[in-house]
Formats: sequence, structure tokens, C-alpha cells
Amino acid sequence: MTLPANATRLPHTVSDRPFDPDAIYRYTDAQKALFEASQLRLMWWKFRRHKPALISGIFLGLLYLSILISEILAPYNLETRNSSHIYAPPQSIHLFHQGAFVGPFVYGFDFKLNMDNLKREYAPNPDKVQPLRFFCSGDKYRFWGLFEASFHIVCPAEKGTLFLMGTDRLGRDVMSRIIYGARISLTIGLIGVSVSLVLGIVIGGMAGYYGGLFDVLSQRLIEVIQSLPSIPLWLALAAILPITWSPIVVYFGITVILGLLDWTGLARTVRSKLLALREEDYVSAAQVMGANSGRIVFRHLVPGFASHLIATATIAIPSMILGETTLSFLGLGLRAPITSWGVLLTEAQNINAVALYPWLLWPVVPVILVVLAFNFFGDGLRDAADPYK
Amino acid sequence: MRIFAVLLAVLAMFAGPALADEAPLLAEMVKAGKLPPEAERLPKEPRVMTIDESTGRTVGKRGGAIRTLMAEQGDLRLMTVYGYARLVAFNSSLELQPDILASYENDQNKVFTLHLRPGHKWSDGTPFTAEDFRFQWDDIMTDKDMDRGGLDSALMANGKGPKFEVIDDLTVRYTWEDPNPLFLPALAGARPLDIYSASAYLKQFHAKYADAAKLAAEVEKEKVKDWTRLQIRKGRSYRFENPDLPTLQPWQNKTYSPATRYVFERNPYYHRVDQTGAQLPYVDQVIVSIAESSIIPAKTGSGEADLQERYLGFADYTFLKEGEKRNNYTVRLWTVGKGSAVALFPNLNTNDVGWRTLFRDARFRRALSLGINRGEINQALFAGLAKEGASTVLPGSSLFRDELGSAYAEFDPDKANALLDEIGLKRNESGTRVMPDGRTLDLIVESTGENSMEADVLELVTADWANLGIKLLTRTSQRDIFRSRVAAGETNMSVWAGVDNGAPTAEFSPQEFIPSDPYQLQWPMWGTYISTQGTAGQKVDDPAAQKLVDLYNQWLVSQDSESRHKIWNEILDIHADQVFSIGIVTATLVPVVVSNKLHNVPAEGISSFEPYGYFGVYEMDAFWMD
Repeated sequence: MTLPANATRLPHTVSDRPFDPDAIYRYTDAQKALFEASQLRLMWWKFRRHKPALISGIFLGLLYLSILISEILAPYNLETRNSSHIYAPPQSIHLFHQGAFVGPFVYGFDFKLNMDNLKREYAPNPDKVQPLRFFCSGDKYRFWGLFEASFHIVCPAEKGTLFLMGTDRLGRDVMSRIIYGARISLTIGLIGVSVSLVLGIVIGGMAGYYGGLFDVLSQRLIEVIQSLPSIPLWLALAAILPITWSPIVVYFGITVILGLLDWTGLARTVRSKLLALREEDYVSAAQVMGANSGRIVFRHLVPGFASHLIATATIAIPSMILGETTLSFLGLGLRAPITSWGVLLTEAQNINAVALYPWLLWPVVPVILVVLAFNFFGDGLRDAADPYK
Repeated sequence: MRIFAVLLAVLAMFAGPALADEAPLLAEMVKAGKLPPEAERLPKEPRVMTIDESTGRTVGKRGGAIRTLMAEQGDLRLMTVYGYARLVAFNSSLELQPDILASYENDQNKVFTLHLRPGHKWSDGTPFTAEDFRFQWDDIMTDKDMDRGGLDSALMANGKGPKFEVIDDLTVRYTWEDPNPLFLPALAGARPLDIYSASAYLKQFHAKYADAAKLAAEVEKEKVKDWTRLQIRKGRSYRFENPDLPTLQPWQNKTYSPATRYVFERNPYYHRVDQTGAQLPYVDQVIVSIAESSIIPAKTGSGEADLQERYLGFADYTFLKEGEKRNNYTVRLWTVGKGSAVALFPNLNTNDVGWRTLFRDARFRRALSLGINRGEINQALFAGLAKEGASTVLPGSSLFRDELGSAYAEFDPDKANALLDEIGLKRNESGTRVMPDGRTLDLIVESTGENSMEADVLELVTADWANLGIKLLTRTSQRDIFRSRVAAGETNMSVWAGVDNGAPTAEFSPQEFIPSDPYQLQWPMWGTYISTQGTAGQKVDDPAAQKLVDLYNQWLVSQDSESRHKIWNEILDIHADQVFSIGIVTATLVPVVVSNKLHNVPAEGISSFEPYGYFGVYEMDAFWMD
């Protein structure tokens, strides 16, 4: 093919101006950040807007930090008995004594046994000003059972007392016991949930992915487990734990029991999610490319609903905490000397506590707060993790 | 004529109160002719209970109802205990007196002749006669089909039962070859030895008397295995479960089980009268409501009981006291009549060889006892009002000596540790002592969990024993399971109260201190062996325990008070020295709630099952409501 003689080449039509591919859709930095943000970051932004969830999250975070240093936070040891202050009511903190600023202090108690009704009567004595000591040396303890120490953030005055939530029938400080109890009550939920999470993902995942006989069997098993009334089942399982087990092993036993019964709901969720996701094209693509089942489930499917799992697990923790409290309250869960909030409540389980020593019911408050906080927190997480919202 | 008028007036004076004063509950029925008048219902010689008004008790008026609370149907038996009508009965100074019996003769504890009251009737109006004794002896106790597993131990003297004779319609005689000092106290027991029963009623359930077809129908209806079971079920007089079974007690159950509210009504034929001739009991009805034992203190505090001692503990005192004015009752403090309010029982017959060897070592038991800080327990749980001491008879009992209570009861952890070192129990690196077989000393204490005080005591003992290098663990099980596990030797230590009768005299049997009963928590197998004359259980193979058995056999045949006293002292000395059970606190107080409308309840008393029968010896039939 030849050109006519007088023909010239057409001018070059490609602009030689610098090329900017984003010229039409110019994103602001904010937009850029949004579109480039990872899944986690998106969740965090959404979560941040849910104020109750945020506050609950911070509250829970602080509580979980506190169990690392219970020994330091509690003014007394778990088992410190003060036999001259049995059933002492809470002491309140004052700042001013007769108009003068003293700093935080409590008034010491004068004890009298009322011979008429044998009530132990404690009257704050305005002459006994007992300033609190801070960053002080008090009851000796073994920090996490590792080394001996006596450092506390706050201690009673020398030869004074500091019972901000009163004492129980053996003269033990209720507040210190609640602080120590958090260690058990809060972790039991975490461990229990991890057990149920593992079981739920593995069994639910296999049922959903493979289907068939395994699916049928596991679903029937789940139905059986779910149809058993939970409290009698807990009781039966808790009764199996041998008495000679040390309390700490019993503690693990109870967490495992709670976890073993709680995985069913999670397994169902995982299964239904997998049933839906396994039909997706990217799964077929992975299969065609020869990925094995494990890789497909854990690399391609689970991340697809991991956020949902986290939210479910968060909401399951308070049910674990309540489960432990219920069991212990019934006297079948943990037992002294392990101290959880449920164990503390068992001790308040009589008419005397309600009528005469209401401060023994204090452990109810952290239970309610923690359960509420977990629910708000889980709620916020779920909202944040839901990509369709 | 004038003489006649005077006579009439005198007659009216005598007859007047009795006629006008029918108990309110029965007045209508008497009027309607459904029930004979009181004078005809009483035995010819009723037992006259003289209410001594100088002691603050008063002759009362009849009528009204006492409300009380119990935890289960099985507790209805307490009404037999409270009612305390017995052939012979203890008074509040623990002297035996004829009660249902008009009189009795005792010839050297070998021949007992019992005389009934002429005209005495069961609560259904049928006569109470020697036939009721014969029926119980021939057709229940020694009947082959009834198969009672031998006679009750209180009917055995030196392994042999009595000879029973009916002398006449109102006289029976029991004759033993050897002395049987247990017979009369057993008749007076809180749970009495039943040697009579309502034969006229029970014959319809006995194959020997009843029509076979009718009996078979009845067996079918009650869904029992055979007629003997039917007989047992219908004839349980102690349990008060069968409202149709006639009784001699002051009140009779009128409610069929199951129920949550049982109404006991006065027995119209009761054999006791007060000094004015008015038939007892004063109170027409006792209403027993069934409630969960843990909320009985709360219910009592809100005024739902007129008379309550059961299921109240010292810890409830303050709470109950708060409700006094509001609910118009008074809380009294009675002394617990047990030898020890809380005691620990090492099981000398445990199947665990390691523990058995340790428990058989008196030094070990002494060390355990020395390691307990009883003073702190008393202060913390009993406001310092109880007495600290070993498990023996109560301070105040005629057999008590200071050295019995203080034996190995002082708090001396150094001495205790020294004893444990001497036995050769070494501590491991965590401070717990190790048995020769390598196990750590993890001592499981069994409890019935019925009593929160026990749990508190154990908690304090746990801390005390931790200093000895012994780790105490608690296991709770239901009472029947608890007992059978102890009896089978499956337990190492248990917590319970000391002897039931904490204030015996030398005339009382020392059997609670002797291996004599399968339910004794420290030596169940030996107890079984002795009580079954060696056919079951294990032979006593501890010299000190054998010595106790020998002393008991001496007591059984001893004739005079002085030698009995000597034997008792020796028995108590052995217990003090050997620490077979570890007493912690004794003479604790227990609240008794009494409505201000209820009179004649003693302000102070001893709360015990045996021999006081709680309100039994304090004559509950003479309590009255205004």
C-alpha cells in the first residue's frame, strides 16, 4: 500500500501534555484515605461513632488491665481476716476534718456488740482520723504467685482500717475480694469463649463446607445439645469434677464446660455463612486452581465473615460470665478459696445479707456493669463489622 | 330439800367447768351428738398435769392454733417429738414418769410390768388395751412375714429378747433374763420404741386378720409390693403421714400427703388434763406449713410462725430480733443440748489405708484438735457466747469436769506441729505435709451442707490447719448419701454435731460414746459390728475403743448409781484422752421464736432431740394462745 504523491502524514493525535489519570475523578485526601482504608480501619471508624460501645470498650479494657495488678490495686489480700471487724459497714472517704483539709481519710470504727439483739454495731469515731496511704507497703502477697511483695496503690492507715465496701462474716474486705474476683470472673469468659470459638469454627466450618453426612450428624448433635436445659446440664457436668482437683483446675474445668456447651450457636452461624459463601465464584476459582479444602476454608472463606465472628464472640462472653456466676451462686461452680463474683454472691445468699448487711451484695454491681458493657461493645462491633450497612 | 339444793350446787360446781368448757373445736360436734362429752372421752384416771403457777406458767384457756414451719413432709415426725405422749416420759428435770401408762413396776431392770389407764381410748374412740401390745409383739415385731431384721437393740439384753405376757386386759409384762436398763429410756425417747400400735385399725392391713381379697385390692390401690409393705406404710405412727391411723399424741394430722400445709387437730381422747380438770392440749390446732429451709428464717421474721425453733440458727438472731415489735413475737435463746455444736469426726474405719493408719494414731487426732483456734471461731460466729471445748458432755451436766472440756482443746499450733513431726509427716516444698505413701495431706471433710454454720467453721479450720501443713477440702452431699458413704468407709472425715444427749446423768446409757450404732461417724464399722452382735461390720481392733465397749457392757449390768457414775467418768476420760471426735464449740445458742400470744413456753430451755424432744419435755400440750 502506497501513499498518494501529494499526501502528507496526519499530525500526531496523541496529546503530549502530561497525562493525569485522576483528572476527572479527583479525590480529596479524605476520600483517598477512605477508599484505600483496610477493612479493620473501616470498622474502627464506624465503631468510633458508636459512643456507648466506645465507652464500654474503654471500661472493659481498663478492667482487664486491672486483673494484671489485682494484688496492687486491692488494699487487702484476698484472705486477710480482720476478726475485730466482722460485718463492718462500708467506710466513706472524707477530705475535711473539722473544717481543715487533711486529704483523703476515713474515720475509724468504734465497735460495740449490742447485747439486746447481738448485732455488731460500728460507729465512726470522729477522733480516729485515719488518712489513707498511697503507694504504700501493706499486706504481703505473692505477685501472681511469683515473688513476694507488699506494694499497694492504697493502704489503710497504720493500725487503721479501710473497708470502702464493708466486710463479710469473717471480717474480710469486700472491695478487695471483688477486685480479686474480677481476675476469675473476667477471664473465665475469655477462656470459655476461645474454647467455643475453636469448636464452633471447626465443626461449623466442616459442616458448612462438606455438607452431607457430617453436616446432618453435627446439626442433630447441635439440636440435642441446645434442647438440653442448660442449668441441670451444668450441674451434672460440674458434679463430675473430682473434689480433689485443686480449685484452679476446677476453674479450668468449669470454663471448658461452659465452652463445651456454648459452641453450638456459633457453629450454626459459621455453617450458614459457609453454605452461602462456598457457592461464590472466587471459591470455584480457588478450587479450579487446585487449592485444598483447608486453604479454601481458612484462607478464603473465614476472612469473609471474621468480623461477624468477633462480634458474636464478644456477645458470648457475658453469657459465660453469667453462667459462671449462676453455677457458683448455686454452689456448684467455683468454690472457696477461689474467689469469683459468683462465689462472693453465694455468700450473700441469705436473708441476713439482704436485711442487715446489704453491702455484701456489692458484687452484683460489677457483674451488671461488665455484662452491660460487653453487650454494648459487642453491639457496636457488630454494627461496625457489617459491610452491608 | 335444802340438802338437795346444796348438793346440786356442789355438783354444778364440779360438773360445770367440764361441761361448759368443751374445747372450741369439739363443742359443736359434742352438741350435735357426734362425739361423747369430755368426761366420757377421758380415761377414768387421766394424767393430771399440775401447772405450777409460781414458775410463771399459767393455767390456760383452750382454742386457737399454733402456726409453725417445716421444710419437708418428713419433718412431720417432729409433731410426734413435740407432742411427747409416751408410755413413760421424762419431765424437764429428766426424771422418768408414767405418762400413757397409769403405772409400771420395774424389778431389777429385768421384769417390767406395765399398767394401762382404764378407759383410755385412741383418737378414733376405740379402746387402748393390752391387745394393742400383743398385736405389735406377735404380729409385727416377731411376725415372720414382716421380717423386721430382728428386734430393736433396746429390746435386746445380752443378745436375747424379752418374754412377753398379757396379764389382763390392761396389764402387760416384759421379762428379760439379763438386766435391760435401755428399755424404759427407749420408751421415753424422742423417737420412741414402738411396743404398741392401733391394732383395731391396723388389723385390716394384716394378712392374719384381713379378708384376702380386700387386702389384695388395698395392696393394688397403694401400689406396694405386698401386704407387709402396706402394713408398714399404714402403721407409721412416728411419721404422722397417715391421717387415718389413730394416735395417742395430743394432736393428730388431718391432711393427706402431699400437701404444703398440714393441719393437726386435737386428739379428743387425749389422756392428760390440767389441775382444773380441763382436757389438754390447750391449743386446738397446729398448722404446719412446708417451706424451703433457707427461707424459713425470713418467713419466721415476717411473723408467719407462732412457734419456731427448727431451721433457725444463731446467725439469724439479729434479723429475727429486728422483726420482734413489728410482728408481735419474742425471740428467746435456748441452749443447744448437744455435746458439741460442731465436731469433726475422723473415720477410724475408712477404706483408705493411709488415712486409716493416721487416724488410728491418737497423736494425729490430738494434733488436729490442738491446731484449731476455737477462740476465734467462737468470736467470729457466736459473738463469743458459745463455749470452746472438746467433744464431751455439756458444761453444766452432772458428769462434766473442766479437764474433759479442755483436753487438747487449747490453741497450740507449735505443739500440734511437733506432734505431726513426731509422727514423721514431712512437709514438701509448698509446705503441705506428705503421707508415708507419698500423697499430700489433702483431707476431705464431708458435710451435709444443711447448716451454713458448719461451712463457716470449716472455713476457719481450713486456715488453721493450713498452718499445720494439712489442706482441708469440703465436699457436701445430701444427708442420706452422706450417712451411707460414711458407713461404707468411703469418707475420711465428716462434720456433724457431738452426742445428742449433751447433759446425761449416770442413769442414761453411755451408748453414744461407745461403738454401738452403724451411724456413728467416727467408727461406723465397729458400731455395726456391736449393734449386730458381730454379724456385720468389723471387729473393734483398737484397744481404747475396745475398752469403751467393755465399760459399756459393765454399765449394762451395773446395779447401783455409784458404779454407773464411775463407769461414765472412765468413758469420758478415754474420750478426752483419745480425741475420737474433735469438738470445736459447745453450748451454742439457738433462737426460738414465740408469738406474744402464745403462753407457757419457757424463756430458757435446752434445744435437743434426745432426750428433751425440743418442746416435748416442756409440755407443748400446755402451751396456750390468747
